[in-house]
Amino acid sequence: MSNRHLLLEQTLAVAQRLLLEQWRQRRGLIFWAVFPATMMLLFGLVYAHNVSMRAGLDAAAAGILMGAALFFSCLGGTVAVIAAERERGTLRRLLASPLHPAAYFLGVVLAQLLLAAVQVFMLYSIAWYIGARYHGSLFLGGLILLLSVFSYVGMGFFLGARFARRSEEVVVALSAIGVPLLVLGGTFFPLEIMPQAMQTLAQINPMLHMNQAFKGVAAYGRGVDDMRFELAYLLVFCGLSLALGIQSYRHLLVADKRQ
Amino acid sequence: MTAILQIDGVHKWFGSHQVLDGFSLNIEAGEIVGLLGPNGCGKSTVLNIVCQLLACDAGQVRMMGEPISELGHRARALIGLCAQDCALYPDLLPAENLHFFARLYGLSDRLRQQRVAELMSSFGLEPFAATRVGKLSGGWRQRLHLAVSLVHRPKLLVLDEPTAAVDLLARMDLWRLIEGLRDSGTTILLTSHHLAEAERLCNRVALMRDGRVVAQGSVPELLARVPGRAVAKVQSADKAAIMQRAHHLGWPVRQHADQISLLLPHHLGLREIVDALDGTAVSAVSVQAVTLDDAYLELVGERT
Repeated sequence: MSNRHLLLEQTLAVAQRLLLEQWRQRRGLIFWAVFPATMMLLFGLVYAHNVSMRAGLDAAAAGILMGAALFFSCLGGTVAVIAAERERGTLRRLLASPLHPAAYFLGVVLAQLLLAAVQVFMLYSIAWYIGARYHGSLFLGGLILLLSVFSYVGMGFFLGARFARRSEEVVVALSAIGVPLLVLGGTFFPLEIMPQAMQTLAQINPMLHMNQAFKGVAAYGRGVDDMRFELAYLLVFCGLSLALGIQSYRHLLVADKRQ
Repeated sequence: MTAILQIDGVHKWFGSHQVLDGFSLNIEAGEIVGLLGPNGCGKSTVLNIVCQLLACDAGQVRMMGEPISELGHRARALIGLCAQDCALYPDLLPAENLHFFARLYGLSDRLRQQRVAELMSSFGLEPFAATRVGKLSGGWRQRLHLAVSLVHRPKLLVLDEPTAAVDLLARMDLWRLIEGLRDSGTTILLTSHHLAEAERLCNRVALMRDGRVVAQGSVPELLARVPGRAVAKVQSADKAAIMQRAHHLGWPVRQHADQISLLLPHHLGLREIVDALDGTAVSAVSVQAVTLDDAYLELVGERT
């Protein structure tokens, strides 16, 4: 088997294993789905009920997909994967095998992408039912989602490799860090209704720019020319997250080998 | 004989703490070599270096004649690791775990199907084919763990205290499996705290202390290094008197913790021992032929 073929086989093996595990832990999978679905229903119904807010329904759908759904499944899911590998001792076994680090990384990305695709379908089905619509280019929206998933997985590797030693810590860390980031990222409420100080603070939150990029396409039908800043920000953030994630994963390999 | 593994003068430091101090060991094809020693003597570090989980600071490790550092990822395909903790995926079925690891080693579809079926059958895992690994008992999980480390037909199987976490029956069961591997010519490096395990399974035993091998050989060779053919274990309130009498009789005395062991030149009956120690306050005495435990204490343990 050539090196390239082996890398592909290993990537597919990791992705398939993660998806199979997710499927077997159906309860966990249901909880991952319930949170964004409930948020979509609650916020969607509130937006749809108030005439003055109805215009914001399309943006709310995009924000909830990017924040409540992908944030928790892709970032939280990646942190949970790393913590579980550590806890079960499988990380040591993987390190002793010829598994290429890039294949492991790409396997996690691939599994998260497939889960993200299911979430997009689920959330937009609910959103469509309530009355939200998608207005922009499907290609551009897909590209933003792809870059966002890569960013989340990169951040997930960083947080998982550096901080999450046990599964229980994952939930606590996600709640403590994640929820404020979501609120300040304009996931649930538009930035304009926040006090000025919060709006200023929100500018350093990458979630805000990811949200704005996807909302720009999905809710307002904007194209590349209208969103150069958001797209550039997302590209840079994605590159940084991946670099940070890969660097943290390398650190994890060295640190865990010493144990 | 072909050397599968050659470890030559390996040194390893963790910061200022030296863990390995010129460790050397050769393993020939088809051998089972037991690595024994007290906690912290460096056994796990040796295994981690062999499995490329750690790099050594000095010295050389060769696998099939080639430096392990030059083999890179290829070395990992030559080695199978089975540690004491069952590193498996609890939500997957036994065969799914085997398939996953087989794919990491690049086995083709056809070979993988064959190998997984073969291991499921030879390790008696077929009745549990539909049981998730997390639901298996400790003994069966460890069986599967062993099977997973053999999925790619490694040249060297590394067993790191493989029976440490299982009960006696499961341990004996695993011993039978390892004996089967030995008889089929698998080369194995094994660490254990159960000396009976090493005595039963290994062709050769290397005893470690302070990061180096202090003695090695077959079990009879190690037993021959004990200055006695039998050991009398004596309990007494007056240890000094026992030791003085034994010294007078020319029997070497070893004291480990509370236990006094008298090394006898040949096997003596209890009556003869008690008579020989007449006048000392012996409260209990037992006698048995020298075992690997005695050789271990003699060659590794601190002598009093």
